[in-house]
Amino acid sequence: MRIMTHGYWVILAAAVAAQASDTPPPAVPPLPPAAPELQFAAEDLDFFEKKIRPVLVEQCYQCHSAAAEQAGKLKGGLRLDSRAALLRGGESGPAIAPGNADESLLLDALRYESFQMPPRGRLPAAVVADFKTWVERGAADPRTEVAAPARRGIDLEAGRRHWSYRPLSKPQPPQVANAGGPIDAFILARLAEQGLHAVALADRATLARRLHFDLIGLPPTPAEIDNFTADESPESYERLVDRLLASPQFGERWGRHWLDVARFAESLTLRGFVLPEAWRYRDYVVAAFNADLPFDRFIEQQIAGDLLPASSIADRQRNLTATTFLVLGNTNLEEQDKQQLRMDVVDEQLDAIGRGFLAQTIGCARCHDHKFDPIPTRDYYALAGILANAKSLEHANVSKWLELPLPLEPDEDARLKDHEARVAALESQINSLKETVKLAAAGNPAREGVVPPGDLPGIVVDDKQAKLVGDWKLSQYTRHYVGEGYIHDLNTGKGEKTATLIPEFKQPGRYEVRLAYTAGVNRCEATPVTVFSADGEKTIKVNQRETPPIDGRFISLGMFRFELNGQGFVIVSNEGTQGHVIVDAVQFLPVEPPRNAPATATQVAAASGGAAKPATGTPPGANAPGDATARESAAKAKEEVALREAELKMLRERGPRRPMVMSVQEESRIADLNVHIRGTVHNLGERVPRGFLQVVSTAAPPILAEHSGRQELAAWIANRNNPLTPRVYANRIWHWLFGAGLVRTPDNFGSTGEMPSHPELLDYLAASLIEHDWSTKAVIREIVLSHAYQRASTGDATALAADPENRLLWRMNRRRLDAECLLDAIQSVSGRLQLEPGGPGVKPGTAADYGYVQDSPRRAIYWPVFRNALPPIFEVFDFADPGTTTGRRNTSTAAPQALYLMNDSWVTLQARTAAQRLLAGPPGDDAARVRTAFRLALGREPTAAEMQLTLKQVAGTSATGPPDAAVVELRYARLVQALFASLDFRFQD
Amino acid sequence: MLSDHPFLTRRQWLQSAACGFGSMALAGLAARDAAAAASPLAGRPPHLPQRAKRIIFLFMQGGPSHVDSFDYKPLLEQHDGKNFAFDDARVLANTGQKGSSQRVMKSPWKFRQYGDSGRWVSELFPEIGQWVDDLCFVHSLHTEGVAHGPATLFLHCGSTNLARPSFGSWVTYGLGTENENLPGFVSISPSLGNGGARNYGNAFLPAVFQGTALGKAGGSAAEATIRNLANPLQNADECQRQFELIQALNAEQARRTPDDSELAAVINSYELAWRMQHHAPHTLDLSHETAETQALYGIGEKETDNFGRQCLMARRLCEAGVRFVQVSYGDNTANPAWDQHSNLPVHAQHARRVDRPVAGLLCDLKRRGLLDDTLVWWGGEFGRTPYAEKNGTGRDHNPGGFTVWLAGGGVKPGVAFGRTDDYGHMAVEDKVHMHDLHATLLHLLGLDHLRLTYRYQGRNFRLTDVHGNVVREIIA
Repeated sequence: MRIMTHGYWVILAAAVAAQASDTPPPAVPPLPPAAPELQFAAEDLDFFEKKIRPVLVEQCYQCHSAAAEQAGKLKGGLRLDSRAALLRGGESGPAIAPGNADESLLLDALRYESFQMPPRGRLPAAVVADFKTWVERGAADPRTEVAAPARRGIDLEAGRRHWSYRPLSKPQPPQVANAGGPIDAFILARLAEQGLHAVALADRATLARRLHFDLIGLPPTPAEIDNFTADESPESYERLVDRLLASPQFGERWGRHWLDVARFAESLTLRGFVLPEAWRYRDYVVAAFNADLPFDRFIEQQIAGDLLPASSIADRQRNLTATTFLVLGNTNLEEQDKQQLRMDVVDEQLDAIGRGFLAQTIGCARCHDHKFDPIPTRDYYALAGILANAKSLEHANVSKWLELPLPLEPDEDARLKDHEARVAALESQINSLKETVKLAAAGNPAREGVVPPGDLPGIVVDDKQAKLVGDWKLSQYTRHYVGEGYIHDLNTGKGEKTATLIPEFKQPGRYEVRLAYTAGVNRCEATPVTVFSADGEKTIKVNQRETPPIDGRFISLGMFRFELNGQGFVIVSNEGTQGHVIVDAVQFLPVEPPRNAPATATQVAAASGGAAKPATGTPPGANAPGDATARESAAKAKEEVALREAELKMLRERGPRRPMVMSVQEESRIADLNVHIRGTVHNLGERVPRGFLQVVSTAAPPILAEHSGRQELAAWIANRNNPLTPRVYANRIWHWLFGAGLVRTPDNFGSTGEMPSHPELLDYLAASLIEHDWSTKAVIREIVLSHAYQRASTGDATALAADPENRLLWRMNRRRLDAECLLDAIQSVSGRLQLEPGGPGVKPGTAADYGYVQDSPRRAIYWPVFRNALPPIFEVFDFADPGTTTGRRNTSTAAPQALYLMNDSWVTLQARTAAQRLLAGPPGDDAARVRTAFRLALGREPTAAEMQLTLKQVAGTSATGPPDAAVVELRYARLVQALFASLDFRFQD
Repeated sequence: MLSDHPFLTRRQWLQSAACGFGSMALAGLAARDAAAAASPLAGRPPHLPQRAKRIIFLFMQGGPSHVDSFDYKPLLEQHDGKNFAFDDARVLANTGQKGSSQRVMKSPWKFRQYGDSGRWVSELFPEIGQWVDDLCFVHSLHTEGVAHGPATLFLHCGSTNLARPSFGSWVTYGLGTENENLPGFVSISPSLGNGGARNYGNAFLPAVFQGTALGKAGGSAAEATIRNLANPLQNADECQRQFELIQALNAEQARRTPDDSELAAVINSYELAWRMQHHAPHTLDLSHETAETQALYGIGEKETDNFGRQCLMARRLCEAGVRFVQVSYGDNTANPAWDQHSNLPVHAQHARRVDRPVAGLLCDLKRRGLLDDTLVWWGGEFGRTPYAEKNGTGRDHNPGGFTVWLAGGGVKPGVAFGRTDDYGHMAVEDKVHMHDLHATLLHLLGLDHLRLTYRYQGRNFRLTDVHGNVVREIIA
């Protein structure tokens, strides 16, 4: 469990002091020593006895006394049953500061300002006033300390007796007649104990469909089913299993399972930022499953890949890409308290690691010892300390995740370096050319340097349109300005004046923002200019003594993203400035989105809503400096600049791009963390050495002082003696094959999770996993070859009555196709599906995910997982919430699913495409087409009743003779869509 | 309270003439396991006496300024232009610095008193001003999150960043709906930004409690509808034939495993979808309203048409039994409508668009007797500072003190509760945290926020986490 961010009460505690006061708050007085021999005046003690003690006893002792502590009900570590306890305080500090009511947390709490105490309702104002008086008069209090009983800690030894923490061994399967293998022996023995029997194996067509969906996530083609059902040799089933395990589609199915656990997504909820490099991690996961990467190494690469030795560049690339796992959290980049944000990121990582690999809810120990499991807060901060040494974000008003260059093969690297050198050379050439232009401009006090705002490209906000605060003066003294002059702050009233320039955008998008000013020696060297954009706010200090580099008029403030109707503007302030602050104009030049094909100048201008104007360089008209030769050379240089800039742009767009990867970086200073009392970053407790969960007594590797401990953490989790890791993963594999784990809470093996239905079978599988060198495919193979997996999903009245939830596995579970299988199956039927693997799936140039239109002929795993714009089919059919680790998806039944299948335009179009496919096929009668439709969609022939129903729908003639082609197509589309909506399509037997 | 596998009701469909072919074919199946069919959306008894049966939340996205609307502070005029030290929330979060110097900025709008209660309202809201004797102002709200995203999520879900169910989802989970032919929780014109769908999402609650979006922010309310209510390529007759074919196939396929209640639930979801497809368009069709009613909401006039339609739709949905209707005045940007950082006077434009429709909604609810058991909640994710942001011409976010108002269902009319300091910066008296407001709203709906829990990942969750106190002082 986790308490809310406590930042707010820090703000509120200061609320009273904030009122109309520019005097600093009084310093906290030093606390008087808690001396028992303190003498109090009799009337003060009397006041305490009459007014204070009864209230404390009645209202507070229940949670804040020695008795409460003994009962394990002490709240906030605070006792109020002696003066010493009050002075010592609780987790948030001393409860009272005698003599100073306003500095006393107790009073804050009674006033419902920081804490709200007592929680059941505020005390009457008169009582609160009594407490104020009492504290102000020195907090007279005769009570002496009642010896506090020993604090009840977590009993780790007792904790280790919980089933999941016990050491792992490989149980012997029981002796059962006719058990196919160990798995069936465990299951049949349990069934026999209950006097139940398992049902028979499923028919071969059902098995073919089951294996295809479970192993590769795609329906079998009619031909594949025919081949399989025709081949009655005993090895045919095993051959099919091996073929599917070796298929490149296997990794796409099983990788997607892991992506649920890894809370994979390609954008962030807040501001909809797209994570453009996240797809590399997805491809890494798919490749890992296809290659059957041992799971222990899969763990190590994801947690500490950046720290692992690598024998080749490809290894290094893969290791680094794996660590994207750490930074996929749905981070609140705009959290303003960056210390809080840093700990929130660590918490999120710990949650993903804890639940994903260990099925432990470690996050519950962030604020207090875990309430149910043997995880003390110290353990949380021992682990958090490890992750806090990995930097995940670059902090700013809106912080940014890290993208690091992907290491490259030498030849590729050389090619990129060569390209980068060419870019750098060109940039330097452009800069020196600009210098020439600047010198020319500076050497000629411009007389003709006045340009009307309308002659400039993009959106120009002149000083005349600025909203001004304070006294600004219009000037035309330096005649090189936009519009009718420029304004300055008279070099007075520092900190009082601002100019706000608000553009009217006609198109959202990225813009280069430029400030125009006139330079001079009396100007300010660090004028603060703040740009507010869709990416937050950014302040740039401009040296206005220097001639502006662009046309001697503008300085670029950078590229920013703006939204329509959003709050995009620029504020120039004179706060903290020395010298004149100048505002002439601000220009917003549209920049085409990155990664798009190069746009022409006309397109750029059109995007800005204006007429075609060049986006850079000199505006039309004779605005060059006065002197003829200088003017000529300046003009030439400008022309050259324009040419070179165009060349640079081309080079950047056409040239190779250095691939980047989302990852983390070790902090330069390695440190331990302090306990954060109640999870609050501003209330620190004892320092905790980095370490692991104590309840898991696996020999913990020592963490060297100069190591972050991340590699050690990975090794500890991936250790074969860690009792949790192999059990958790074996259970996940079972869950993904049966729709329910042996432990049905796959992310929680703690005391609030479920117990395993077959503990010995689970341990057998976990041990088997390790024996097979952590091979996922080996365990899958063993499971799908069992009879348990091959059973029919049909009912047996006795078993159904005794075990309706099928915990004992007397049959196979009937399961729904998940969103991805539905999508892939629909596109298989329509014939639109393309099996091209990997690569980025997001349309180029997408900066934010809002309103992203999802459609692709590729498999579902390659559709962008956008947190604000999931594909509708994902949303409706219980796709995993990409905000958090999901080991088990919901399975819901709701009307929007029905509405989606009946009416969604994408489904309707797919049905129509499928109809065209059916009608374009080999000529045949309607019955043959109906059969094909059933075989494509459901993997079986229609029943007689189904045939009758559907033939009626497709074959009817109209009064005027045979229906025309469009009508026939519509009828078949209706048939296919009805099949998509039918039970046998949505479920897997 | 509920299992992870909710089933849909088949309670009414046998009586329903509209069901047609599919349900007839299903009759035998349904009879067998009718007992298994407790619908998660069926109405459920509240924990407590219910003061309101439903809520309309008028969400003013972006943070309308309380000191320019309902929280009158004469001191701002007196000290306009002077600098004082304020504990600015953003500065404090960024740097830990208290008492940064800020320039007090007076409101550009005049205030006057309205009604018998004499509440002060600025000239931004002359129409809402007429209704102050029905309103219950809470001037001492405070919340979490300094930026829009976190604060908006906090407002809706009680958490700044964690995936938590939204208010409306909790309410439908607790009470079900009064009309299963419509969704129980509707969000009209929700924004894509600042948490987007998470603001009406069910998070870990079962998906049936998810809010249904009607249109989206920035879109035309006249065209707003529920997704997938009609097939884009089929006419009514074709739709009917397709539905019948689906249910005939389903009945045939279910015949092989007659005991499977999960299959029955899926079949039933088609029946429900079919009914929704027929009932919802009628509910959303405003042409059934008289010209007088439409005019009351400002429909037909340029500035108020869009929001007026949203408000009138909200009334119709409430009347039809929807439990929680949210109407959003906002847009899809990262800095939404009411977010006047640079140009405070733009507030007037937003006020003109909402004032009349909101007043019209109050009037209409009242004259229909709906205000007795419908709770109206007006407010944003936070308020704004009484001083100029960066010494400019707008106001920054202020989570430390702001105003919301409630009306109808169980709240005291014509009162004001709580107070901010003399500048309107921080709530100082009878402070009400957003968690407290949530607890109070649930209480009015008959739900005890301490008991409205859902077990997930080994522990019980609730909307108010470990916080929240019911503000009994404002309950009638």
